[in-house]
Amino acid sequence: MEPPNLYPVKLYVYDLSKGLARRLSPIMLGEGPGVRHTSIVVHKDEFFFGSGGISSCPPGRTLLGPPDSVVDVGSTEVTEEIFLEYLASLGESLFRGEAYNLFEHNCNTFSNEVAQFLTGRKIPSYITDLPSEVLSTPFGQALRPLLDSIQIQPPGGNTVGRPDGQS
Amino acid sequence: MAENGESSGPPRPSRGPAAAPDSAAAPAEPKIIKVTVKTPKEKEEFAVPENSSVQQFKEAISKRFKSQTDQLVLIFAGKILKDQDTLIQHGIHDGLTVHLVIKTQNRPQGQSTTQPSTTAGTTTTTTAASTPRSNSTPISTNSSPFGLGSLGGLASLSSLGLSSTNFTELQNQMQQQLMASPEMMIQIMENPFVQSMLSNPDLMRQLIMANPQMQQLIQRNPEISHLLNNPDIMRQTLEIARNPAMMQEMMRNQDLALSNLESIPGGYNALRRMYTDIQEPMLNAAQEQFGGNPFASVGSSSSSGEGTQPSRTENRDPLPNPWAPPPTTQSSTTTSTTTSSGSGSGSSSSNTAGNTVAAANYVASIFSTPGMQSLLQQITENPQLIQNMLSAPYMRSMMQSLSQNPDLAAQMMLSSPLFTANPQLQEQMRPQLPAFLQQMQNPDTLSAMSNPRAMQALMQIQQGLQTLATEAPGLIPSFTPGVGVGVLGTAIGPVGPVTPIGPIGPIVPFTPIGPIGPIGPTGPAGTPGSTGSGGPTAPTVSSSAPSETTTPTSESGPNQQFIQQMVQALAGANPPQLPNPEVRFQQQLEQLNAMGFLNREANLQALIATGGDINAAIERLLGSQPS
Repeated sequence: MEPPNLYPVKLYVYDLSKGLARRLSPIMLGEGPGVRHTSIVVHKDEFFFGSGGISSCPPGRTLLGPPDSVVDVGSTEVTEEIFLEYLASLGESLFRGEAYNLFEHNCNTFSNEVAQFLTGRKIPSYITDLPSEVLSTPFGQALRPLLDSIQIQPPGGNTVGRPDGQS
Repeated sequence: MAENGESSGPPRPSRGPAAAPDSAAAPAEPKIIKVTVKTPKEKEEFAVPENSSVQQFKEAISKRFKSQTDQLVLIFAGKILKDQDTLIQHGIHDGLTVHLVIKTQNRPQGQSTTQPSTTAGTTTTTTAASTPRSNSTPISTNSSPFGLGSLGGLASLSSLGLSSTNFTELQNQMQQQLMASPEMMIQIMENPFVQSMLSNPDLMRQLIMANPQMQQLIQRNPEISHLLNNPDIMRQTLEIARNPAMMQEMMRNQDLALSNLESIPGGYNALRRMYTDIQEPMLNAAQEQFGGNPFASVGSSSSSGEGTQPSRTENRDPLPNPWAPPPTTQSSTTTSTTTSSGSGSGSSSSNTAGNTVAAANYVASIFSTPGMQSLLQQITENPQLIQNMLSAPYMRSMMQSLSQNPDLAAQMMLSSPLFTANPQLQEQMRPQLPAFLQQMQNPDTLSAMSNPRAMQALMQIQQGLQTLATEAPGLIPSFTPGVGVGVLGTAIGPVGPVTPIGPIGPIVPFTPIGPIGPIGPTGPAGTPGSTGSGGPTAPTVSSSAPSETTTPTSESGPNQQFIQQMVQALAGANPPQLPNPEVRFQQQLEQLNAMGFLNREANLQALIATGGDINAAIERLLGSQPS
């Protein structure tokens, strides 16, 4: 059978602190850039998860601007149609807007999930491990109640799937 | 046979249903592997032979997930698993996870944003689809006409998104609401008033021609003028417009015919040409008209309708402005309606016709709702609004066309079912029409109409006359006016749901006309403008039981006429209901009898329901008219 179309899948990584964490986090976390937001780019669209649920926009068009780094996740055969269906059901089940949790169920969780679905591979671990790293520091634990209430929703996207927008 | 990832202990035996021995047994035996199937919502484990095909795998899955195999899309490592592949081919080994997406039948989200089903292709559908989005709130308030009453009037209209007092915008929005609300359409259609108006092809044609947009359209497409000039087509179209069921039927047939046409070689192109040449301009014109009108007329008509019958309604207090311009707006609506009806006979314009007619109908029936009354109240309280209404372009043009064409106005008036009850009234009204129209054009009139105090004063006069009528009935006969003007209100009462028209005593003569729109302006003009011209017309309207005197107003002097008219209105207003519909419909009853409808009771009921309109009553009797 002829090889089906392959669509490249990329992971856009945004450093939300824009470098600030670079200076601060060695104190807090003892390592590199702190706050990351990621999104999956496939089929010429960028998909991410925030407090408003799963959203999509043209790549690089959220208010965050262009990504700070791009990771190539692989390629997928999944067509856009199937992917959107998948996202829709994800949005109803696992990734509803209210399910957003900055530490445990955030954009990176979503990106990881989607990356696995699309390519079978996960996203780099330093991204997904960030929350647990932060929480493991005493500083992070002290800040946890505050951080729990933070929800990140990069503006500039449209909600995917849900008929009523879901939030 | 990879056994990696095995969660449980021994790789094989406990594995799956088929305890096919693996290594020990013949190597040809397929190994059972456990594969996790993960959907966005859940995940399940499946034990299948290693070398099974994807097809078999899907069958097992479909049983577990209760969907059909063709709905399942399996993805592994970014690859879509096709039915003829095998699991091994994709490297699906034991313990690995395969993703599953279950396709839904109708793609709700993500994909093809469901187009507003343009199935019927009627513009109504399209409008309905688009408008609800923007008018979600207003539509819910459509229970009363515009739900204005419940909303607290115009002020609350801003909550509907109508933030300006600009009546034209208001009307646009109202129209959209109307279009989107089938109940209102039905109400309008069923209003005998509207129907009687529609049943007069000449009238409709004149209305259409009077509309500048229509004229433009005609210039562009001379076929339309042919359509308009063909009385048969007009009649048929009007007939269709009056009967919503028939309209639907016709549209369906047209759609069928169109689709058949499409299948003929070259037919599709012909269709397209037809559409772009004819239908599009019609649609645009119709929609423009709608935009300008449909609701405007409704709003305004209701106000005028209500205004004209102060004596009738019970709590119309603030309503002093019976003759709010509505008629103009209404006429514009009807104009657009007629436009559509004119084009109705065209192949692809039937849809437009249906819509526009429906819209016009809407407008008329809107008046009869209590919502209109509150709207009128609102309007009267806000003189600026009235001013806006009056100065709305379509109203201006309507008034102008009416004044230029007194016959048209006369026709409109005469087609009112109220008039049919008393030809004398008609005669009396006729000569007064031009004068009335002039009155309406008079800016003084307009300003007077927009002056709530002036309206109130008129109301007071009317009330005074009414009191006089009750206290000193002896005075009244000296006024004679032919028919209790007030009766107009009452006369209107039996005319179906047109309640709001009642209260407007002084304007009574035009009360019934109010909803008709075009006639509206003449009505109010009479009252405020001058006592004289308004006089005779007022009384001519309905025959009231109370004052059976049918002596034509022969009083000299405009003042007397005016007073006469007022008295009549008051006198007529007293009995809220026609004292004796039988008397009123005497003539019609006789006609029906002659035609063979021998059931007097049924005839009477039908006449009452249709307000004396024989044709409508006949249809009702025959049971062919949806009630």
